[in-house]
Amino acid sequence: MPQVTVFVPAPLRAYSGGAAELRLDARSVRRALEELERSHPGLYRSVCDETGAVRRHVNLFVNELHMRERDGLDTALAPGDKLTILPAVSGG
Amino acid sequence: MPERVILSIGTKKGLFVAEGAKTRRSFSLRGPFGTGVSVYATLVDTRGAPRIYGSSCNAFFGMKVLRSTDLGKTFKETKSCPAFPKEDGRALANIWALEAGNGKKDLWCGVEPASLFRSEDGGDSWQLVDGISNHEHARKWHPGNGGLCLHTIVPDGDRVHLGISTGGHYMSEDGGKTFSPANAGVGAGFVPDPYPEYGQCVHKIAGHKDAPGRLYMQNHGGWAEWGGPGGPRPDIGVLRSDDHGRTWHSIAKGLPSDFGFPIVVHPHDPDTVYVMPHEGMTRACPGGAPAVWRSEDGGGSWRKLAKGLPRKDSYFTVQRDGMDIDELKSPALYFGTTTGQLWMGRDGGEEWECLFDALPPIHCVKVAVA
Repeated sequence: MPQVTVFVPAPLRAYSGGAAELRLDARSVRRALEELERSHPGLYRSVCDETGAVRRHVNLFVNELHMRERDGLDTALAPGDKLTILPAVSGG
Repeated sequence: MPERVILSIGTKKGLFVAEGAKTRRSFSLRGPFGTGVSVYATLVDTRGAPRIYGSSCNAFFGMKVLRSTDLGKTFKETKSCPAFPKEDGRALANIWALEAGNGKKDLWCGVEPASLFRSEDGGDSWQLVDGISNHEHARKWHPGNGGLCLHTIVPDGDRVHLGISTGGHYMSEDGGKTFSPANAGVGAGFVPDPYPEYGQCVHKIAGHKDAPGRLYMQNHGGWAEWGGPGGPRPDIGVLRSDDHGRTWHSIAKGLPSDFGFPIVVHPHDPDTVYVMPHEGMTRACPGGAPAVWRSEDGGGSWRKLAKGLPRKDSYFTVQRDGMDIDELKSPALYFGTTTGQLWMGRDGGEEWECLFDALPPIHCVKVAVA
């Protein structure tokens, strides 16, 4: 199982015990979110709504690319990949 | 410790708590709590040890319920927040109402998309209330300007009254198990049928413990000039019921506009009711001159209360939960504006002063003596 690093943005670190990075084993973005649901449910609920969809104003990047430019939740993860959680840009 | 007047103020940038002595000469401000996140509902629960609740409605990361057990010095998230079952297919978009239920730790919570949750443990766990959330009408309601929201909950023993935009008024007589629409006399201006069975854009409902069966409603008025199908619908905006909401009649005559959002009843006199008429197009008081209007005869006649308020050039909105009244012997009214001002009107609104003039846009104001 590939080990990947999840980067947690500052507003959500209350749900990761203050950690900016989490390491977990997952073969895809979907599996990584499922693992987060088990290990850090508060963080998961901030990223996904109760239907399991990624919240509208949350972006997930695999390395440098938004997951929608790859295969969405089915994007495969390789050892050492970085999964970054970011709020969408807002304001003017 | 002497009793204090506690104001819980939900804003676009978090929850503030203002505290003052019963003289109400000055208030100190704490907060914001849930910094930077909109708060559309708050509750000062004075049953037993006082608790303050606030909804923290984060457009990025979802909804939370905040709770304070020290009169608003600190807040923590409750252990869980209302959420639809995964298989339901709906996702919580906003929390619009928090109200005390019958039991000591019972809470009701109204949300968007229009649904109701209840908690029996002070907000740590929540159950979807099927009787309204999965009502046969629920998938036929349409969203209003504020979304499809269940924003008003008026408990009355085993009765529970709900206001839904745009679903109308629904009532339960079995403690919240089942609900029926109760909108006879409640007009709608945006559908061909002026008096539909359901689908009205109710803005707020208020009752009084000393007048069983009496309810007041601020409905979505402003349709006197309507020229479309069904014709004009004057005076459908401010209503009264004397039979627990089964039938309603207009009490809007004498007001400068029948459009508005909040409606508030005097704590010691069920015949005294307050509204804040707005123009439908500007969502501001007519002519940019703010005023609260009071009736002391149950809506038979109205008097303007504007002493101390700006006389012109004020185009703020007071939202549906933006006005409340305290329970002191000579109660004061409070309203918060979308321009971040918090006003207090002594002697039931006879004379107004601005308590805070530069808060973030205010969504809701609740007051209690604790």
